[in-house]
Amino acid sequence: MPEGLAVRIEDLSITYKVSLESKRTLKNALMRASLRQESRMRTIEAVKHMTLDIPHGSVLGIVGSNGAGKSTLMRCIAGILTPTQGRVAVNGKISTLLALGVGFNPALSGRDNIILGGLASGLSKEEIESKTDEIAKFADLPDGFIDLPVRTYSSGMYGRLSFSVAVSMTPDILLLDEALSAGDAAFKEKSFERMRQLCAEARTILIVSHALATVTDLCDEAIWMHKGTMLAQGKPDKIVDEYLKFLNVGTLPSSYEDM
Amino acid sequence: MPTNQDFVSKVQVFEPHKASLPPLIPYVKEFWSRRTFAIELARFNDKAEYLGSRLGKVWLILNPLLLGIVYYVVIVIIRGGSDHNGLTRLNHLLIGLFTFYFAQSTVMAGAQSITLGGRLILNQAFPRTLLPFSCAIQAFREFLPTIPVYVLVLVVGKWIYPATQIAGISWNFLWIPFIIVCIAFTAFGLALLFATMNVYFRDTNKLLTYITRIWMYLSPILWLPSSLHGKAKLLLYVNPLGPALTANSRVWIDDTGLSRNVIVGCIFWAVTSMCVGGYFFISRERDFAIRI
Repeated sequence: MPEGLAVRIEDLSITYKVSLESKRTLKNALMRASLRQESRMRTIEAVKHMTLDIPHGSVLGIVGSNGAGKSTLMRCIAGILTPTQGRVAVNGKISTLLALGVGFNPALSGRDNIILGGLASGLSKEEIESKTDEIAKFADLPDGFIDLPVRTYSSGMYGRLSFSVAVSMTPDILLLDEALSAGDAAFKEKSFERMRQLCAEARTILIVSHALATVTDLCDEAIWMHKGTMLAQGKPDKIVDEYLKFLNVGTLPSSYEDM
Repeated sequence: MPTNQDFVSKVQVFEPHKASLPPLIPYVKEFWSRRTFAIELARFNDKAEYLGSRLGKVWLILNPLLLGIVYYVVIVIIRGGSDHNGLTRLNHLLIGLFTFYFAQSTVMAGAQSITLGGRLILNQAFPRTLLPFSCAIQAFREFLPTIPVYVLVLVVGKWIYPATQIAGISWNFLWIPFIIVCIAFTAFGLALLFATMNVYFRDTNKLLTYITRIWMYLSPILWLPSSLHGKAKLLLYVNPLGPALTANSRVWIDDTGLSRNVIVGCIFWAVTSMCVGGYFFISRERDFAIRI
């Protein structure tokens, strides 16, 4: 892998099968087997032949409609999903916020959940314990809330805590999927600041967001994904403009029709 | 500020696996390096389970004890005979139940660990076997306090009925770690198998409730291993926990060593269960993030 690259994606395709049954149960499976019926499956091509290099220190925004393959791509970079074809090479420690409330047991306190979240990310117990107060402070939790059960938190507090855990892991590569929707304007500004700080430290950030202003404000590069294919790559303003045109018109620009 | 040299040592490559299993040595290394996560998850789940309960962790002891008393009433008192033989039966019942519940909790909680760990699985890359493993640790933590309960019942019972023939501490107790390890491996392997099934068929856990109940009745808990004769003895060996629970009864109650058949049976089920359950689970765990 060339020096200076954080992520290299080569001819990546991710395909999986989903069942069309409303409920996948043993009972239904046995019924089907007794009637010699085949299970109804559908093949989803979530990502198709994608190639992309992401340098260290860049902030890449990923835009696209629902079902474009953005989250699948992020999970593949994180090593959660395996490629069906192609290769993903990742250079550095990854921290992810791809599903809100990660590792959070609502019956446990915020402090306990921070420890669980950190351990799940691969930190040692000592490392995460030393960061607990810093994480709680960054999440702007009201006094004493850190030791209360997470079920007593508002959804904003819950989201802020998840985000704080993810950014406090000092990752080389941070993957965020719709994570910036949590929190108020003040917290959003604070999280932007934290991400700019991470970039200044040559860390790499990948952001999936439907909030296009976030992509233009924060990213220095963007890609547009549509039905598993990367349609365009370039400066965030240009990509967002093209994507917005597509959203308004409802059809792909003529230059993409063949893709 | 990290330098390029810092990054070079941390390159990870994700490619399609040619075989159905991922490379096992890196997998096991990763599993071992993250064991603290499984241990802490077990500790925190334990804490969460008893947070809202007034008696808290006392339930860890009360639960199996009350259950033992219920079965004792049904099997010994209603059938007649609360003498020293009755005490032997009670002790056999208690140690059998306590040990069986260790295995049952591992299997039942482990089977649900993947479907309940959805967000964690969608967000983090780690060996998924850590989740059922954490359930096995939690079950073991719950099993440990039941041993003093058994010893207390034994001591009090012997004081009331001094003629009772139950083993005191002897060299045969050295078999206990072997038995517990075999039970742990057998149950963990089955947990892996049922956890995988539960991802694909969400009613597996309902079925498991009945399977474990039947499993208990077919295990030498409510009856003595010595009550089986001839071909019926096969029941002790086709049951994955049969040899281990027989060994348990021999050591704790009869104060005898383990026969070769029992030792081979314990090892056979531990290895088979780990290989079958492990293969089933690890070869499909890359699918879990899509299925849950």
